[in-house]
Amino acid sequence: MSRILVADDEAAIRKVVRDALEKAGHDVETAIDGEEAISLFESAAFDLIVTDLNMPNVDGLELVRRIRRSSVLPVLVLTVRQEEREKVRLLDAGADDYVTKPFGVAELLARARALLRRGHAGSTPLNRFGDIEVNPEARTVVRNGQGVHLTPTEFSLLVTLLGKPGAVWTHRQLIAAVWGSAAGVSSDTLRVHMGSLRRKLETDPDRPKFIRTEPWVGYRFSPEG
Amino acid sequence: MWRLVVFLVSGLLIGRLSAIGRERLRQVETERADLANLTRLSQAFLSDTTRESLLGVAADRLGNALQAKHVSVLLGDAAGKLDVRASTSRFDVRQDLADIAYRQGNSAAFPSDLGGTDIYLPIPVGVQRAGVLVARGMASSDRMAEGCAVLLGLAIERERFVRLEREAEETKTSDQMKSTLLAALAHDLKTPVAAARAAVENWAEEAGGSPMSRLAVDQIQALTRRIGELMDVVRLDSGLARPRREIVSAAEVVEAALVRFGDALSRHALFLDVPRQEIRLDVDPSQLTEALGHGLENAARYSPAGTEIRVSAAALDGRALLRVADRGPGIPASEQERVMEHFVRLPQAASLPGTGLGLSIAKSLVEMNGGALRLSEAPGGGTLFEIDLPEPA
Repeated sequence: MSRILVADDEAAIRKVVRDALEKAGHDVETAIDGEEAISLFESAAFDLIVTDLNMPNVDGLELVRRIRRSSVLPVLVLTVRQEEREKVRLLDAGADDYVTKPFGVAELLARARALLRRGHAGSTPLNRFGDIEVNPEARTVVRNGQGVHLTPTEFSLLVTLLGKPGAVWTHRQLIAAVWGSAAGVSSDTLRVHMGSLRRKLETDPDRPKFIRTEPWVGYRFSPEG
Repeated sequence: MWRLVVFLVSGLLIGRLSAIGRERLRQVETERADLANLTRLSQAFLSDTTRESLLGVAADRLGNALQAKHVSVLLGDAAGKLDVRASTSRFDVRQDLADIAYRQGNSAAFPSDLGGTDIYLPIPVGVQRAGVLVARGMASSDRMAEGCAVLLGLAIERERFVRLEREAEETKTSDQMKSTLLAALAHDLKTPVAAARAAVENWAEEAGGSPMSRLAVDQIQALTRRIGELMDVVRLDSGLARPRREIVSAAEVVEAALVRFGDALSRHALFLDVPRQEIRLDVDPSQLTEALGHGLENAARYSPAGTEIRVSAAALDGRALLRVADRGPGIPASEQERVMEHFVRLPQAASLPGTGLGLSIAKSLVEMNGGALRLSEAPGGGTLFEIDLPEPA
């Protein structure tokens, strides 16, 4: 059982999110805006915060910034479609993930579960997903028993993704992790390397299962496929 | 004797000098009166904030200031045609002289049959001319008339700026109101539906996925989509959905559309044809993704399961083309334009879900981003949905 703080100014949304999380066996506290969320966050320990983006007083983005000053507590943000740029800003500010309204309960629970798992286990890097096995020390990749040749950049990308299973990455975050933040690498370059990595690892590179595109935001690594 | 001569000469001189003095005095008084008239005129013009009220009284005021029998103000319209817009009384304006004053900026003045002067003066506005000031039987000087014409030009220019500013202010206010209203409407529609959807899904899970609960989930998801579409149409029609353009690659747009709308294509064979070399677009990425997504949904909805859907991007003669081709029954050529209007659906589609908004939304979105949306017959049968955009320089 985990303790989860839910912040949303809409009573109806607070209720359904609370119901869904409680039914999944979690202990839920709610806040009606970012300000209340901050005071609850400061007075009690939580394993996850689920927050709306648009709230009066302190909004979701500001809440993420305040929390990140003192904590690595996982934060899941409820956003709406057409806020792609907002999503990038949220993630770059330190939010861990988002779900887009109107979201399905199953999707919300899956995201919350992934964040709680990562939070508890620290970030245990993965070295096996689907029919693919990765050996970071030997820098080898085996797919279906067959060796797959990756370029150093592709390998570095893959290892970065494996470090945070289920996580969403902005272009900027991935480029910083793989090339170093000073590098003047464009999103196009990233896309080319991702494309070739997909062609080597995905059964249908046009409908990738593991390395998914998050439109206008970046990529998500879904080891469950 | 001498004394007499001196007396006469000085008498003559003094008479002459006082005549000069009187003439000077008269001139000074006229100029002072002119100046007072110009001041009054400019004050009067400044107090008028609309063109109607400005022109309504301009002729009479000018008539007084110029001490003229008749005054007319002619203004050029957008097509450059001169029209009498204000007049003290009806009289015939000499069109040839008015045209010369308006087009070439040359004034004409000549003795009037009514006494005094007839004058045709251009009304200057910057280096252009707004029209012509005509006075008949004018007692004032030509210089006074020129001063009046300049003043009138300034008043017209000032009135135009005041009007433009007021219009801009009104547009801004009404846009803000519309935008606030729309946001409130979207919020009021979407929030209960989002809550209902989550509640129904919670309940469906408890019900163990019974047919009834699955139906409820499907229906509420369909309702969510419909509301989204309706809000899109309202937003597009309101003129508020201005694109926020940036340079993106066509591959990225295709990829994003497949992620967002790809679920609809799960029962079809998808073929992607996107060249590896970059095709650049200057568009609002969300809007274009949305437009292409409607093409994908349309293809999936109206073509049989198992058939192929081909998505491609190509650059051709400075144009970028994004296409979705299906193997469905196609759209008759006569209907290809019409189905892109709001709520228009073909009779053969009546049994399928949908509101007939998708293609009209796509069309608005594409056009807003400087492109064109076309529907035609795909080579080998079926519908070709084609977004045609200029490639950025």
